Amino acid sequence: MHEGFRDVAWLARTHAEGNVAAWLERLPYARLIGVSATPDEEGEGLIYQLEPREFNVGNILLPALHGGVVAAFMETAGTLDLMLSAREPRLPRIVDFSIDYLRTARVVPTHARCRLLREGRRLANVQVTAWQESEDQPVATARLHLVLGALEPNDA
Amino acid sequence: MREREEPQSGSAVAGRNPDSWRVGLSRFVSVIPHTRDLGLEVEEVSPPWVRMCLPWRDELLGDIDRGLVHGGVLTMLLDTACGSAVLCGLPAPEVCPTLDLRVDHYRPAVAGLAIRAEARVVRVTASMVFTEGTLWQEPGRAIARGVGNFVRLGARNTPPGFGEALFGEADHA
Repeated sequence: MHEGFRDVAWLARTHAEGNVAAWLERLPYARLIGVSATPDEEGEGLIYQLEPREFNVGNILLPALHGGVVAAFMETAGTLDLMLSAREPRLPRIVDFSIDYLRTARVVPTHARCRLLREGRRLANVQVTAWQESEDQPVATARLHLVLGALEPNDA
Repeated sequence: MREREEPQSGSAVAGRNPDSWRVGLSRFVSVIPHTRDLGLEVEEVSPPWVRMCLPWRDELLGDIDRGLVHGGVLTMLLDTACGSAVLCGLPAPEVCPTLDLRVDHYRPAVAGLAIRAEARVVRVTASMVFTEGTLWQEPGRAIARGVGNFVRLGARNTPPGFGEALFGEADHA
């Protein structure tokens, strides 16, 4: 295999390029719910997007997005953002995840921004905020703990 | 405070046997577009406890190279299972949005195996429903555990006929 998360050279190259799109290609569930990433036009880093697909609806009465889909979106954003901003190419594995729902997530585009609060040798803590119309009215905040796996050269 | 120590069977629950709850919650997850399209099945219900099964499909992967399930699938499944337990754990079904959810990932979920979810209501108060859920692929080997708290919006904020619609009895409205 010459591409993918188990290929050290590929991971190093995509990490150096900041090629989050290449990583998203290899996350089927994230593609299924419609996650993408774009550069933040007003700052540095990335803004993540969740498409308002009918498939993502969890409440047809309101209607509203499925809270679990919003969580999956935020976990994806947090994991990718950690891979991107980590000092070295690393493969994170989630340890635990916590989400607070602040407002109903309507079936409109949802955005997320991540903050890497700590990157240790083995563990990272990432905070994620998601919003729809306005960033100062978040629909949810989430927190991830991830273990940073070491890359095994013979793993490719 | 009209709090209760243990979840109890109220009027709407008392008249239902586990099989009618299974049918009702099956209807509930088949009305939600996301769980309907993923083919989520309600296997068994014994209020305030539910067991569900998410059949395997390759789109559940979060890492095609290592063959690992996306962690977000597990969060979604726990949210759905805990939320379903809430419906059958109240005196009458109410609309109860998730306030917060915490998921611990015990071991990776792997490709090719269905994922089962068990969830139950731990405690009901006037304002909250406290739940917990567990996921596994092989019996006795939990892949994740979740703790979810749900807000009771009360009968006033629950659409008339919500409970009846759950059981397919909404025609008299």
